[in-house]
Amino acid sequence: MRDELYRALRNVAVPQEAGAEERGQRIVEAAYAEQRGGSSELRGAMTPPTSEGRSRQPLPRLALALGIATLLTALLLSPAGAAVRDWVGEVVESSAPKPEPELARIPGGGRLLVQSAAGPWVVQPDGSRRLLGDYEEASWSPRGLFIAAAEGRTLSAVEPDSTPHWSLTVAARVRSPRWSPSGYRIAYRAGDELHIVAGDGTGDHLVNPDTAPVAPAWSPYGTPEVAYVNSEGQLRIAASEKRASRSGAPPDMAGAVAGRDTSQIEWGAAGRLVLEVSPGHLHLQRMRLSKLEGRSEFGTRTELAIPAGASVVDAAVAPERRTVAAVITHWRQHGTTSQVLVFTPRAAKPQSLLTVPGSLGEVAWSPDGRRLLVAWPGPNQWLFLPVGRGKPRAVANISTAFSPGERAASFPRVEGWCCRR
Amino acid sequence: MQVEDGTDERRLVREAQNGSGPAMARLYSLHWRGAYRAAYLVVHDAAAAEDIAQDAFLAAVDALDRFDRRRPFRPWLHRIVVNRALDWARREALRRRVDGAESVFEPLPPPEGIGGELMAALKELPAEQRAVVVLRHLLEYTPGEIARMLELPRGTVNSRLRRGLDRLRAAAETEEFAEERR
Repeated sequence: MRDELYRALRNVAVPQEAGAEERGQRIVEAAYAEQRGGSSELRGAMTPPTSEGRSRQPLPRLALALGIATLLTALLLSPAGAAVRDWVGEVVESSAPKPEPELARIPGGGRLLVQSAAGPWVVQPDGSRRLLGDYEEASWSPRGLFIAAAEGRTLSAVEPDSTPHWSLTVAARVRSPRWSPSGYRIAYRAGDELHIVAGDGTGDHLVNPDTAPVAPAWSPYGTPEVAYVNSEGQLRIAASEKRASRSGAPPDMAGAVAGRDTSQIEWGAAGRLVLEVSPGHLHLQRMRLSKLEGRSEFGTRTELAIPAGASVVDAAVAPERRTVAAVITHWRQHGTTSQVLVFTPRAAKPQSLLTVPGSLGEVAWSPDGRRLLVAWPGPNQWLFLPVGRGKPRAVANISTAFSPGERAASFPRVEGWCCRR
Repeated sequence: MQVEDGTDERRLVREAQNGSGPAMARLYSLHWRGAYRAAYLVVHDAAAAEDIAQDAFLAAVDALDRFDRRRPFRPWLHRIVVNRALDWARREALRRRVDGAESVFEPLPPPEGIGGELMAALKELPAEQRAVVVLRHLLEYTPGEIARMLELPRGTVNSRLRRGLDRLRAAAETEEFAEERR
């Protein structure tokens, strides 16, 4: 019996085993590359070495520390570093502020939605926080009355005090739920499909059966339109109240070619811009509203230049203004530096708000567009940076704030800063 | 601990900690199948098993720098896998009780081939019994090791194993009987 059981357990046909292994390898490889180098340049690090590409040799810790300490100097002295300095202006004048020991308040007010390994947390203006439940992803409703949360194949709407309202279970893993500005609809990805469901959990329907793994973005114009990237890498606009046809054709109204490897889109600046983010590029797709037809049209598309060799970690367009904040990373042999850049329409060069050694994480605008929250996982801090006048602030011990009682807490991710009243 | 092909697992962990992508790839390829299979046999849902196995490896990557090289990697990974699979199975059971209905999607049929009845019987066991059966008879841990992994008294592990095996034995006998009648 025991031998038979062993054979049965070892040999039983497990569905999708090979595909799962391949997908898992890509994800683990990306996570390992990110953790080792903080850069997409290390993607493929798990691939066995060839004559062309050997694995990175271990770097002694002392050398690494020295390398980080001298990196800024080296950056300025090298020709490439001088180019970077000229390009962004005040590279080394900026420095991170001295951190406060714990999150006692949110500078500028508002509420934060923060995803930790245990699930999403809602942080109140006074720094108090509540764990919503065991969800993998979450995002605010437009006025912060609800949160759309995903766990496995289930999409749920919950109140910020964790009271559940409804749940919907679908065929594939739910990703990237995004609530429309009107509050009437939620767009989300289920596997490769883009779906839209009403804000009360009814009327779930397919919009496109084959999309890229990029979160959808709603029009802030107030029109029922959602932007997404299809599997061919095209930025598309769909009418949210319409369904895909029986043949699977999406109810698209407009399409434009998105940049290659687009990993993120944001529809901001009161509807006037769609920001396309990829590891090597930032593109702005200008949008205008066709008043006769009540829908959006594509305008010109331009690229925001970033320094050569840098990669984009995250970017966000301001809620009301044509201003884009971006976190970029320069990876070098002896260490990494990261910068927070702010692009404004009239300036020839972006403004550098901050340069630090190591890797920065995601960036989020405050609801009033006056501050940025930037994650800094290495020293376990959040940075609150004023855009314009004001004093920068830093808060330390972030991971332990969202993993109470755990000795080895992972750094959480800021999912949203809510909400403009 | 020596892994199957004689490679020193501690060396792989040390090299992965030092930034060796191939060492991390080797750890992944050595342990993915066991992790995915164990998760699937506890949750009987391929998508959930994939998530669980992925999450376990991501947790391993996340904790790599803090990992104590004196400890073996394999049971540490399997402990994460099986505990997450148990959490998923409990949540799913709760969801079904609260919703009062099965998922709107058809579950995959039991795998065909070797031990089809046995697999169906395994699926009918409570998740806690499935977990100890999988740890004991797929991953080949001792009851003492399972007790430490699941933070259970050893007597509880033994009783879950005994009950689980009794039910699987009954299913195997039914299958043998059916084979004889064919």
